Amino acid sequence: MPQLRKDPVLKQWVIISPERGKRPSDFKRQQIVEEDHSNCPFCEGNEHMTPPETLAFRTAGTAPNHKGWWVRVVPDSSPILKPEGDSGREGIGMFDAMNSIGIHEMVIESPHHQNNICNSTFEQVREIIWAYKQRLIEIKKNPRYKHFMIVKNSGFGASSMSHSHSHIVATPIIPKRIEEEIEGAREYYHYHDRCLFCDIVKQESKDGTRVVHESDDFIVFCPFASRFPFEMEITPKFHMPFFEMIENEQVFGFATALQTALRKMEALLPSQPYNFVLHTSPCSDSYRDFYHWHIELIPKLTKIAGFEWGSGFYINPTPPEDAAELLREAKA
Amino acid sequence: MPQLRKDPVTKRWVIILHEQAKKPSDFQIVHPEKQSLKCPFCMGNEGSTPNEVMSYRAPDTLPNQPGWEVRVIPNKFPALQIEGDLDRTGIGVYDMMNGVGAHEVIIESPNHEDGFHNYSVEQIARIIRTYTDRYRDLRRDRRFRYILIFKNQGSAAGASLDHPHSQLIATPIIPKRAMEEVEGAKRYYYYKERCVFCDIIRQELSSGERIVHENEQFVAFAPFASRFPFETWIAPKEHRDSFGDIESGEVEALASIMQSTLRKLITTLDNPPFNYIIHTSPCDEHCTDYFHWHLEIMPRLTKVAGFEWGSGFYINPVAPEQAAKYLIAGK
Repeated sequence: MPQLRKDPVLKQWVIISPERGKRPSDFKRQQIVEEDHSNCPFCEGNEHMTPPETLAFRTAGTAPNHKGWWVRVVPDSSPILKPEGDSGREGIGMFDAMNSIGIHEMVIESPHHQNNICNSTFEQVREIIWAYKQRLIEIKKNPRYKHFMIVKNSGFGASSMSHSHSHIVATPIIPKRIEEEIEGAREYYHYHDRCLFCDIVKQESKDGTRVVHESDDFIVFCPFASRFPFEMEITPKFHMPFFEMIENEQVFGFATALQTALRKMEALLPSQPYNFVLHTSPCSDSYRDFYHWHIELIPKLTKIAGFEWGSGFYINPTPPEDAAELLREAKA
Repeated sequence: MPQLRKDPVTKRWVIILHEQAKKPSDFQIVHPEKQSLKCPFCMGNEGSTPNEVMSYRAPDTLPNQPGWEVRVIPNKFPALQIEGDLDRTGIGVYDMMNGVGAHEVIIESPNHEDGFHNYSVEQIARIIRTYTDRYRDLRRDRRFRYILIFKNQGSAAGASLDHPHSQLIATPIIPKRAMEEVEGAKRYYYYKERCVFCDIIRQELSSGERIVHENEQFVAFAPFASRFPFETWIAPKEHRDSFGDIESGEVEALASIMQSTLRKLITTLDNPPFNYIIHTSPCDEHCTDYFHWHLEIMPRLTKVAGFEWGSGFYINPVAPEQAAKYLIAGK
């Protein structure tokens, strides 16, 4: 019997249909295309091909926008949001519009084209996380931005983009999806006086059937109402609304959790494109008691059909308990 | 300068890129190879599907035999099952229930090669009548809260079979997107005592810059905050809350505007994969003043990346005014 499950944060229902139970091998793999990356703007030595860096971790004595870095952050050369100009909010009859102001930067995760979070050293993953943190703290100083996100699209098309990187996007509005999470978490908090995410983490940790990896301070699990096969969530076990509050020893736990999750996914679904999105509290302090930062990690396996688009009601052919079991067993 | 736009119903913001605006020819569409297996939806293969729920067929022909023009069958691999109780339960912070519902397939034509590129208005009208017949029948089942009718055309849009078909799913909950629409529409109504969709249609008709096509009863337009390039909506001009209550006099007009709008999309974008979805009011919210049914057509031209998933904040590279211009010029 298929089952309907409700995401307690988004109030979003999902169909879990074990009868259609799909295993990793049931999903077609994308073909890997060998490509020439001598002109990759993200490779070491090609620093002049990107806009000037906003941050780099580099060897002492090396000059900005030259060789010698191990993590580098640059503005996107064709940004979807631009830092210049007014917000330009206006009404057009019944419609509302505004200018697309914001920040759009790329975090280049390694100077070497073939390296990524899976095959890098653990130390390198920690450096990437430090770069996220430092940029967020800096960008947050500008009060025009209401929210920011860290997004990674791995394994998509364009050849220059195959160099491992992630995006930092600061927006002048709170995106819809975050707004929904906030509303769900706020409602729960007002009723129970507890953080919903903390309660979920406690229940998952105790139950164990959906846990992929767990340490003292982080948990990786397949959400109860996963929308997609092998979807994972990485959440700190301690309450923390803002990602950029993360401290030294916590970076250690987070880097381990992130690398473990990605390596397990790679072992199970080799070269599968995936997205991860870091959800953190909007810049205002008013969400601090009930919002809790986390990462959503989604392998791109299923095609989203009309039903899902039109209804926001997803059909997931792999129960999260089965996905978690396979991921637990996979080698990290 | 790119622009952010807000959908007045769902409060969803969208980025419209003006400078990097894409033309129809900028989207490359890969046409997959034709399926060679025996098609279960073709005339003569009625035996390889579950028994039909209903059909429009020649008067002297038998069910599950050739002679039909539109045929409805239960989905062989249903996402939801028709028998059983909901058994709602809670486990700690989580809530769940059984996947009870109906999942049917509407085979739009006996001919494998047919589609909206060549359907006659009469055939589209028959398809619409089939939708409404099934809608009205399932609405009577008290377990169902919402009935979703949709079409996936092309494998990139989620279709697993080439033979032209659409689907119907009756769900025991109100799906999230529908709930957001209904809530957005209610909020607007409580504030203004007018239907938000009636207001949108009025404004679109008076500005005209996003209108793709219209007839006496229906209008097709590119929504102000389109999430996808060439997204097009068709809505009745008069206030109508439920698709299930469409009058027989309106069916022909809807068929005609669907024919011209979908043909324009098909020729302008070289037979793109697309989805369409009928957005209607929930089953037990009858005759309301705030909701207004409509058909949303979404050509599948762009890949939705992590940013869109994580934020619900879509990036659309074609301004809807521009899309409307291309479509008006299309045949």
